Amino acid sequence: MSVDARLQRPRMPLTELPVGAAGRVCSLEGEAGFCQRLREMGFCESAVIEKVSGRRTLLCQLCGTRIALSDRAAQHIVVELIRGGA
Amino acid sequence: MSTAPTSPGPARAPVYALVGNPNCGKSTLFNALTGLKQKIGNYPGVTVEKKIGTAYSQHGHALTIIDLPGAYSLAARSPDEAVLRDVLLGRRTDTPMPDRIVCIADATNLERNLYLIHQILDLGRPVILVLNMMDVAAQTGLVVRAARLEKELGIPVIPCEAINGKGLVELKLAMSRHDLPLSRHSWEIPAPIAPAVSELAASLVDNDQRGPLIARAEALLLLTDQDTVRVAGSRPLSARTTEILRSWEKRWQGQGTDWAGALVNSRYDAITELCTHVIERSAVKTGASVSDRIDAVVTHPLWGWLVLGGVMAALFLSIFTLAQVPMDWIGDHTAALATWVKHTMPAGDLRDLVTDGAIGGVGSVITFLPQILILFFFIGLLESTGYMARAAFIMDRLMSRVGLNGKSFIPMLSSYACAIPGIMATRTIEDTKDRLVTILVAPLMSCSARLPVYLLLIAALFPSAAVPVGAKVAIMLTMYALGTAGAFFFAWLFKRTLLKGEPPLMIMELPPYRLPKMRDVALHMLERAWLFMKRAGTIILGISIILWFLTAYPKAPAGSTDSQQIAQSFAGMAGHALEPVIKPLGFDWQIGIGLISSFAAREVFVSSMGVIFNAESSEENTAPLRDALLAAKWPDGRALFTPLVCITLMVFYVFAMQCMSTIAVVKRETNSWRWPLFQTVYMTGTAWLVCLIIYQTGRALGF
Repeated sequence: MSVDARLQRPRMPLTELPVGAAGRVCSLEGEAGFCQRLREMGFCESAVIEKVSGRRTLLCQLCGTRIALSDRAAQHIVVELIRGGA
Repeated sequence: MSTAPTSPGPARAPVYALVGNPNCGKSTLFNALTGLKQKIGNYPGVTVEKKIGTAYSQHGHALTIIDLPGAYSLAARSPDEAVLRDVLLGRRTDTPMPDRIVCIADATNLERNLYLIHQILDLGRPVILVLNMMDVAAQTGLVVRAARLEKELGIPVIPCEAINGKGLVELKLAMSRHDLPLSRHSWEIPAPIAPAVSELAASLVDNDQRGPLIARAEALLLLTDQDTVRVAGSRPLSARTTEILRSWEKRWQGQGTDWAGALVNSRYDAITELCTHVIERSAVKTGASVSDRIDAVVTHPLWGWLVLGGVMAALFLSIFTLAQVPMDWIGDHTAALATWVKHTMPAGDLRDLVTDGAIGGVGSVITFLPQILILFFFIGLLESTGYMARAAFIMDRLMSRVGLNGKSFIPMLSSYACAIPGIMATRTIEDTKDRLVTILVAPLMSCSARLPVYLLLIAALFPSAAVPVGAKVAIMLTMYALGTAGAFFFAWLFKRTLLKGEPPLMIMELPPYRLPKMRDVALHMLERAWLFMKRAGTIILGISIILWFLTAYPKAPAGSTDSQQIAQSFAGMAGHALEPVIKPLGFDWQIGIGLISSFAAREVFVSSMGVIFNAESSEENTAPLRDALLAAKWPDGRALFTPLVCITLMVFYVFAMQCMSTIAVVKRETNSWRWPLFQTVYMTGTAWLVCLIIYQTGRALGF
């Protein structure tokens, strides 16, 4: 559990994060096996993701690597907006 | 070292396993270490490629190197990863447990790469860590202190640029060391899980004959392996250990403990702690990198499609144009060889067997070698530059419409060359149902073996030279489009009916763009060419000989013509037996023989037609055969190869499953006869039905 010190920051699924904005992972939702896969790929809690592009298939930058995610996968990742976007 | 469970015999070369994330430069390093001394095979029971090579230590001793499949974690999701896990744990009966492990990490993304390596350090075996792509890391403003990491972990850490050959000597020196220290890195297992780990480890030692260190690692792994992928050829766990595992899982489920998540997170905490000392990010970030700028175009919703279209067009254009010269050359030389044999051997059945059966049959297949080389050259190029993953990314949207994800695109693209590597490429697809659907539809993509059939029939369709090339190309592309559309349609159908499942959640890493490593591409090409030649030398040679036998016996009375001979031979009998089934499609018994022989391999159709219509043509020049086809008549005098029949026949080849090698590969991949049989029936059934509709409609319209 992360401490909710930044409650004022809006939370949203990764799919809603505006292109060009960066978000910090708050929680992973959904099936346990899939969440573990996400964690192993580096989508851990508190990791910072930058959304590069995409509507249906998203392109993200995550600690130095480019990762493509389908929108259904990205819905399971809840992020808080930390930089950029409207 | 005292705990090493398998001590290598004095005579055996030490076995090193190469392990790392996908895209960390593992294959480049493997090629650099072993050069051409590689052996590629399969792990029995699973079609995961087993690459073993030999390198030499600084003292000239042989070292065996196993290149294991790339993975993000030892907790396996796909057969590939299961093989990696089982080889490292010594669970496989067919592969020796590696004595030492060489871990490769991409220095630009050390944290993520260290996750797998961290799991491997738990195994308690001697590990050498290679930090690859140090140059790229430096360019992006990362300072990776290898010496500090070496101090923290207590194992040799070697900075390296495999692509430029830097750091290889240091790596070989480390590999040549007699004593390799074990890692002294330790990390904290979360308190609620620790007792389960010790209990499982104890049971693994007692009931599964594991060494104490490896038992702890395996216990940790059992707790994070969600639905353990079991592959054939790996030893199962003992009943007692399984029981302990289940009881702990039940207890945690009752308490609401997310044990797997807690383990992954505490491991990442340990890694983050390590990295704070090792990685230094210089504040200056130099805007968008080259990769970013290329990606802005290549993954753009509009430009991306144009680039992909351009790449595909270039690929097919070069297959059709560049291959022509070497194909003609091979055709001429096989024909010359056949003529030479004809002049040197005494006339008789044996001579005919050699010239018509062996040389003719195999020659007609080897002619496609240039095309296959070009295709694999392109695929190798696309893979080594990093574009392939972008193509999969672009295609993901389209593929998700039919319920597959972008990862299925790569096997389907490879199937344009040949369904066999295509089907083998499905092994990276994690979801078993998606993998099966991809396997089932991949042979619908028109492979290069159909090409000669199309070429021959198009030549028969437009006999006059006046027809512009454009029309021929258009027909050809129509056939390719038809096959592709069929593949998408059946994928959609199967995902909705037979193999119902949620569209998969895709996560895929896009590697940074790199200049292609020509040596690796060439090695890949040679590997494939060799496999193809082996196939031509064995299966196709055998079938050609059998086919020749079936057309030559039983002997017709002396004085009868060649076509009378064929009509009353075994092949002729089979063709006649098939005629009632294919007559509604406008095919006669002679085409029937061609269809039957095509079940061996589609390209055999061309050589069978050559044998049946007795046209003294070689493969590189279809004109005589074309004329012979055009002269062919039904018994009532109607022309056999009308334009409508040519088109119907091409469509038949688009859909029908006529390739024994593919059937064999599908059988091996799916581990049952059910799927290859189903595939043969559905594809050939579709072919028959579609052809029936085309031919009967065409007839009704007066063609």
